[in-house]
Amino acid sequence: MNRKIRTLHRTIGAIIAIFVLMFAITGIFLNHTSDFELDKRYLTWNWLLEHYGVAHVEADVVYLLGQRAISQFGPQVFIDSTPVVNSQSLILGGVIIDDLMVLATQNELILFSHEGEFIEKMSESAGIPPLIRNIGLFHGEPVLQTRNGMWRSDFMLDQWEAISLQGIGWSQPQAMPDNVELELAEYFHGKGISIERFILDLHNGRILGNIGVWFVDIIGGLLILISLTGLWMWVRGIA
Amino acid sequence: MNMARLYKINSINLVTKLLGIILFMIAFSVDARGVYQTDKDFLSEAFNNEIPKSKVVWNKGQIRENISSILGHDYASLRIRYWQDSSQSSWILEEVGKEKPITFGVTIANGKVEYVKVLTYRESRGEEIRYPAFTGQFQQAEINDNRLNRQIDGISGATMSVRAMTAVVTLALYLTETTVIE
Repeated sequence: MNRKIRTLHRTIGAIIAIFVLMFAITGIFLNHTSDFELDKRYLTWNWLLEHYGVAHVEADVVYLLGQRAISQFGPQVFIDSTPVVNSQSLILGGVIIDDLMVLATQNELILFSHEGEFIEKMSESAGIPPLIRNIGLFHGEPVLQTRNGMWRSDFMLDQWEAISLQGIGWSQPQAMPDNVELELAEYFHGKGISIERFILDLHNGRILGNIGVWFVDIIGGLLILISLTGLWMWVRGIA
Repeated sequence: MNMARLYKINSINLVTKLLGIILFMIAFSVDARGVYQTDKDFLSEAFNNEIPKSKVVWNKGQIRENISSILGHDYASLRIRYWQDSSQSSWILEEVGKEKPITFGVTIANGKVEYVKVLTYRESRGEEIRYPAFTGQFQQAEINDNRLNRQIDGISGATMSVRAMTAVVTLALYLTETTVIE
């Protein structure tokens, strides 16, 4: 019996030694997060950001106008990584006309300067044909495809004539540029994973999700067991 | 015994009716959000179905400063659109009530408010400002030094919406002045 207890004690000790070390080290750090400013320092390793699911953002739609990326996340419209305006309707396309960036939603055109300043929303009351499906350019002039046909205007955008044309360059959704996605990821998720959060998740196992929590529970159980076997051997005077 | 039973039945009926009334009121008062009039319908009404071509005021320079002073903050857009014929001008403007923008339609004639309407209300409470009993206070209002020349009575529970409407009416009067100067 004594021999079995000693073997059990040594085996458990060997299994959990590395974890006890990790708990001890992470525990010490967690006791001093303020001293080491661990809550204000961030890890930006790609694999870690991927692991936490904060490396990417998924826009509802993205259009590239010149050097600017226009994206929409729910009602929020961004130019590059700056939120500029709210739109309850999905952006269906965008074009550049002279010094304007023009985005089309189902019933509105949203105008911006090249610098990204919001100029205005133009709707049917400002002469915009309703039920827009897409916006495009024909020899530099804006063209709208609506449910009721095709319409062309000029840079003023307030008078539209019904037309039927071929060869229009329709706006198409595009992929988010990597650099803008990085900036947007920071906008939505912050600067990265704080060292405090990383160490805490190591400490409690959450770094591996629910399995990690159960694993730490098992290690805890083994620690209880090794304590009991240690006590048993001490009481019995086993070396 | 019969009287006591009758009294009990009447009490139950009264409570049931009261509950019914309360539920009815809740059903029609919980969500104030809605489009009460489209921009186009507002303009059609204002101009008897002959909507003039829209014009714009640029929110820049001194105008921007005055607009900020009236609203207490910058107006969101760089360009503010309006519709004008020989007798009046109409403005469709937005201002945040408590949390969300309210769309107002304001018609001005001879430097005085003809009428103001709530076109779209997005807040969950306070839509009482749309009723003529309230909006009537603005009729014939003018501005002196970019301030409304009259006191507007508030509505309990709709303080921010009242403030927004007062600011927008003042803004529409100011913007109309700028178009006359132009």
